[in-house]
Amino acid sequence: MQVFFFVKRKSAMIEYPEIDRYASLDSPLHRFDPRAKLIAFLFLIFSVVLIPDLKIAFIGFFFAIFLLILSGIPLAFVLRYLKWVAMFVLSFFVILAFTFPGEELFNFYFLSITAEGLYTGSLITLRAFSAVILIFPMIGTMRFDTTIKALDRLKVPNSLVQMLMFTYRYIFVFVDEFQRIWTAMESKGFKLRTTLYALRTIGKALGMLFVRSYERAERVYQAMRSRGYTGNPKTLVEFEIHVKDYILAVFIVGFAISLHVISFLGVV
Amino acid sequence: MREAINIKNLSYMYSEDTRALESVNMTVHEGERIAIVGPNGAGKTTLLLHLNGILHGTDGQVEVFGKSVDKVKREEIIKDIGLVFQDPDDQLFMPTIFDDLAFGPINLGLKEDEVRKRVEKALLTLGLSGYENRCPHHLSYGEKKKASLAAVMSMEPRILVLDEPTANLDPRSRAELIEIIKGLNEREGITIVTATHDVNAVPTLADRVYVLNKRIIAEGTSQKIFSDVELLKENNLEVPEVFKLFEVLQCFGYNCEELPLSVDDAIEHLTRTVETEGGHIHLHIHEHTHDQVRKLKDKYEHH
Repeated sequence: MQVFFFVKRKSAMIEYPEIDRYASLDSPLHRFDPRAKLIAFLFLIFSVVLIPDLKIAFIGFFFAIFLLILSGIPLAFVLRYLKWVAMFVLSFFVILAFTFPGEELFNFYFLSITAEGLYTGSLITLRAFSAVILIFPMIGTMRFDTTIKALDRLKVPNSLVQMLMFTYRYIFVFVDEFQRIWTAMESKGFKLRTTLYALRTIGKALGMLFVRSYERAERVYQAMRSRGYTGNPKTLVEFEIHVKDYILAVFIVGFAISLHVISFLGVV
Repeated sequence: MREAINIKNLSYMYSEDTRALESVNMTVHEGERIAIVGPNGAGKTTLLLHLNGILHGTDGQVEVFGKSVDKVKREEIIKDIGLVFQDPDDQLFMPTIFDDLAFGPINLGLKEDEVRKRVEKALLTLGLSGYENRCPHHLSYGEKKKASLAAVMSMEPRILVLDEPTANLDPRSRAELIEIIKGLNEREGITIVTATHDVNAVPTLADRVYVLNKRIIAEGTSQKIFSDVELLKENNLEVPEVFKLFEVLQCFGYNCEELPLSVDDAIEHLTRTVETEGGHIHLHIHEHTHDQVRKLKDKYEHH
């Protein structure tokens, strides 16, 4: 969740991390059974990040794009998140291109770009983008609480499910809380700058947020115990898996496997 | 009538030297409506947290329907007594409204269809039908507040304990919530305990009032408590506006012994006066009117 949590510098408005904003659209992936969807996509993501060959990585990348288009999630929405991933991944690309040992392509004084470096850099970049893009058709096509319930039904450890559940519930509350602190700071003349003073002030504001969160956590726990919380809350949910879900799951998993089969056989 | 809550000599200390409660005694009968009023930091919330065993007193004991809260398992207590917290963001901790309302009943070990039935009923009672799949962060504060109450009502408690139910609400939501709470008592005989600063809501929400300031300062009917201006002043409290208005009317010659505290009281009161005084009410300015009004205003100024 942290990845999607960012501050827009100019307006200093914090955006809600609404990864499931387009959960109410309708597409084959929206209708896909949540449990089957999670398993199939996780399988595909693992498969994609383990691709050893650049050409096959391209196939994986285009398949990820295909699934994204199939999901109907607007591209602009995805790009907004992708740019943060890009900043991170492209720095790897640059570092690898310059540092990987191998045949030199260009030379600037003491720096040199190698063919192997470019190859490995592109491979890693492509894998990372494919994996991140696949996240959207996976969890962007259902409400996040459905994702959590599906994980619970898939026997993911309950403490992990609870952590996700409460993070999802309270991240919005904390965003609001930080927003209020921020507004109060700005209305007293605070401006965001890269001075030591500004950094110190932000540090204090974050500290305040931690204190408030701690106090809230205590009250929430009291409220939970007041309603009989004993450690593992259950939810009621009905998932129904149909033949079409099996077909779609087999198709995606099959594709994930064949990526590695063709790379192993050296077909491409 | 059965005793719903019985508190004997309850004391609580936050640390070695911070006393939150000092030998509090309180008895609430089944079907009664009680308000606990007191200044900020008087220990109202702390007291409420003792009622279902979330906090344990350093001394004294709390009994709910004759069962000692410290000795019985918590499930035994929470099925009888439901606690609604002040901040709905503390109360609503599940991803959707349905999950939140189902949380309590599931923990009580009820069967799935019974849980669903109770959720539906609680939503209907609070006028929130159709909100099942909404997320708390998409609701207004008033809706969240109602959902908090629904999340406790789905456990069908015999006693409802509310911490500041009317705080931070817009007038319409406030009025709605007061009506709902009143209705729960009238229709289902649920015992209501309210901790509040909202003195205007007290006469509608309570038959009997406890003034708490670490210890019980006073106890009595709303009429008795609100007639004691000194007591109210000492505890940063006030009388309801309706009460004040009728005191003003008294200065203008309106004749009444027991002043009304709520709009309903006032209607009844005026009707009675009009009927006994031959079809109208007589007000006038006499020589002491202005003095009396000035004295009255002085009386209510907090210095």
